[in-house]
Amino acid sequence: MSASAASLEDLAAARQERPATLAEAAEVLRRADRNGERLFFLGGGTELSLGAPPDGVDVVLGTERLERIVEHAPLDQIVTVEAGVRLASLEDLLAASGQMLALDPPWASRATLGGLVATNAFGPRRTRYGSIRDLIIGISIVRADGTEARGGGKVVKNVAGFDLPKLMIGSLGTLGFIATVTFRLHPRPETERTVRFPDLDADGVRRVVLALRQAQLEPGAVAALVHEGGDDLGVRFDGRFELGVRFEGFEAGVRQQGMKLLELATRQGWGAESLGAETARSFWARHDDARESPAGFRVKLAAQPMDLERVANAAVGSLFTALEVPRCVCYPTLGLAFVAGEVRVPGQVAAAVTAAREALPQGSVVLQAAPPEVRGAVDVWGPRPPAFALMGQLKQRLDPGRRLAPGRFVGGL
Amino acid sequence: MSAPSLVSPAAPAAAPIPPPPTVVDRLIAVVGDRNVIRDPVDLRTYECDGLTSFRAAPSVVVLPASTEEVAAVVKIAVEAGMPIVPRGAGTGLSGGALPIPGCVLLGLSRMKRILEIDLDNGWIRVQPGVINLDVSKEISAAGYYYAPDPSSQSVCTIGGNVAENSGGAHCLKYGFTVNHVRGVRMVTSAGEVVDIGGPVLDPPGYDLLGVVVGSEGTLGIVTEVVLRILRKPEATRTFFATFPSTDEAGVCVSEIIGAGIIPAAIEMMDRLAIKAAVAATGVDWPDVGAALLMDVDGNAAEAEHTSAVALAIARRTGALEVRVPKDDDERTLMWKGRKSAFGAMGHLAPNYIVQDGVIPRKDVGPVLAEIARLSQERGLRVANVFHAGDGNLHPLVLYDAKVPGQEHAAEELGGEILRLCIRYGGSITGEHGVGADKAPYMAEMFTEADLDTMAKVRCAFDPGTTFNPSKVFPTPRLCGDRPGPYRPHATELAGVADRG
Repeated sequence: MSASAASLEDLAAARQERPATLAEAAEVLRRADRNGERLFFLGGGTELSLGAPPDGVDVVLGTERLERIVEHAPLDQIVTVEAGVRLASLEDLLAASGQMLALDPPWASRATLGGLVATNAFGPRRTRYGSIRDLIIGISIVRADGTEARGGGKVVKNVAGFDLPKLMIGSLGTLGFIATVTFRLHPRPETERTVRFPDLDADGVRRVVLALRQAQLEPGAVAALVHEGGDDLGVRFDGRFELGVRFEGFEAGVRQQGMKLLELATRQGWGAESLGAETARSFWARHDDARESPAGFRVKLAAQPMDLERVANAAVGSLFTALEVPRCVCYPTLGLAFVAGEVRVPGQVAAAVTAAREALPQGSVVLQAAPPEVRGAVDVWGPRPPAFALMGQLKQRLDPGRRLAPGRFVGGL
Repeated sequence: MSAPSLVSPAAPAAAPIPPPPTVVDRLIAVVGDRNVIRDPVDLRTYECDGLTSFRAAPSVVVLPASTEEVAAVVKIAVEAGMPIVPRGAGTGLSGGALPIPGCVLLGLSRMKRILEIDLDNGWIRVQPGVINLDVSKEISAAGYYYAPDPSSQSVCTIGGNVAENSGGAHCLKYGFTVNHVRGVRMVTSAGEVVDIGGPVLDPPGYDLLGVVVGSEGTLGIVTEVVLRILRKPEATRTFFATFPSTDEAGVCVSEIIGAGIIPAAIEMMDRLAIKAAVAATGVDWPDVGAALLMDVDGNAAEAEHTSAVALAIARRTGALEVRVPKDDDERTLMWKGRKSAFGAMGHLAPNYIVQDGVIPRKDVGPVLAEIARLSQERGLRVANVFHAGDGNLHPLVLYDAKVPGQEHAAEELGGEILRLCIRYGGSITGEHGVGADKAPYMAEMFTEADLDTMAKVRCAFDPGTTFNPSKVFPTPRLCGDRPGPYRPHATELAGVADRG
């Protein structure tokens, strides 16, 4: 949970709508259309600081009462939920039939499925199962003009019509209101085992990632935490990481893969250890803490996986110097990382962001939370994407009145 | 589908509408004389794709060799007010590359270079005319492959795969084309070149890539593709099992999946399909009611474990016989039997229609029973080959075009099967695309509001509806004005008329 004061005040001052049914939700959008009101969609409120503060908000449509599980078909391994269903409660339901939604983003007890889609949230399981775009199979939305529409369906394999579900992922409520979402499910793994590399530099992490692939190992999750090289003055980044590799699945495969990785690490002198249940929990709890602790500032870094050293040197290092209580989680097989902390000198943090952008020209550096002083100095999204004109056209076609969280998205869309 | 106005495979399309001479001159200036095909006889090569019952002649075929040439051709066509129909290898089964009278057919087959390979970061950049299987061949020695494997993978192109969001037997575990495309370079209807996505994940902005893949050539012309490539799995275990009927085979599939196994592929064939495969490829499969062909892959210990569990389930659920291939050659032969199933129908009947519908997996039993009933009612044989793991049916309706009325009856039967899929909450296409063939059924699967929303997306990309108009959508749509609610004509509902 991260705060962005300006935007939260706007939200509190707006009219609050909490529809109990999808029909009521659609009516809220139709009324807003008639009255020319600007809307902001609110799920669990875990990622309110994403994007730029909207230009203005007249109505907040909260999904907290839209919490029905519309359909769970265990034999078909699909589930359809209303937008306001919390991830943790869905997980409980699915666990009873030995299934899971292979999505493990932060704040599962509060985050809603609608919000997770709108923010393209993810966690370490993305390593194996992909992101929401690999899990979503259907969506129903309410357009800015109040029209209810649907894309995809409830079968995994389906190429009929345009893929509206994917279009809504990460759109931050600027293209339409996500009413229901259908996901494909996966079997819950029988068991899991984590192998930990306590002390690697960025090149070491990169070499482990390559070695995993070379050895045809298929981990369910790979995450690197910044090595705790701090002293009494706080945490400093000394260029070293602690890497966790988790295998999930049937016992036979998990055991074989864990042993193979340990052998490999021994041969290479990488000093790995297989964690017991307790220590594994502790490693992943530290991962979760690093992602979930409140932070006034958070940035998402994206680069090619093999560029990890550059990410570490040019981005993580300078951000750690500029931030107080900094922390970092890297997903080295994906080339994605988060750095969070508190801002002491806004100019220094803004300069670190600019430097990171220059160091990663093929990648992206997106501010996910930041105080107004930092937002004023650097654009939260960074340079406009090459296809920005098409994105603008899309926004224009679906929200011609610019009434859905106007200005929140990339380039002021 | 079901269009008496459309000509049969034997008859050629109406003569092409000649392109304006100035257009031809300008196109020649861009791509060279030999890459502008306008001789009516030569144009006949392009008058259909894999769906041969739909034919129309393009005005002109242009074969560009670069992104710049594609952009120049698009500008010329737009200025001349000519629609553009893109085409890869022409293997599509839904008429997605069917020419529209008066169109420029943009053939991308000359753009077949592999541009860049980055194994460490897991991607490869290719031109759209590269053959699907050639991607895997290129990186196979290094131990990598490209996962989506449509049955036509030895001839179909990546550009066509991107347009159709192609699947294949192994997409049950590995996903479809959309899950393996990281980025594209695309020429827009304004003739501009844009990059959408790229090797790095999560580029800021809307997921335009997600909607471009599978848009069937209606949003832009893709001229480069960045594909995700995978390390080959350590082990693959295959088995072939026979059953008295599709009922037992269906139960077997459900139980395997219920046991928490995600097979890399699990394919079912019914008696008629088995017969056809035997006739076509010489596999020594017995005359039984149903057969399953399954792959599990992954690390060796897991593949051993899951294949042992799956085998036990097959025996428990009534398998008559279970065969495990003794070597790679035998495995390849088993898969050849499955992958050649469509073509094999030629051994059973002079003509056939391939259908492509999806149903919730748990409903395979009742849906197959209904298909059997429809088949009896109409007096036409239907062979079933399908991706059982994800409920993607490929009923093959057999007929003889020389018998008056049979082709029409076969098309009607195909349509009834699609309606069955819609009724069970499935889809009218799992991997072949909507194209021209299934556009009429879109209005049965989706509401007018759904289609209107999709049309808005299209208008954002192509406000002049230059790219592949009359495909995907059941009614022509213009951008700028909002069409009234669509009401299907009674003849369409009956499946005897068509709005293609």
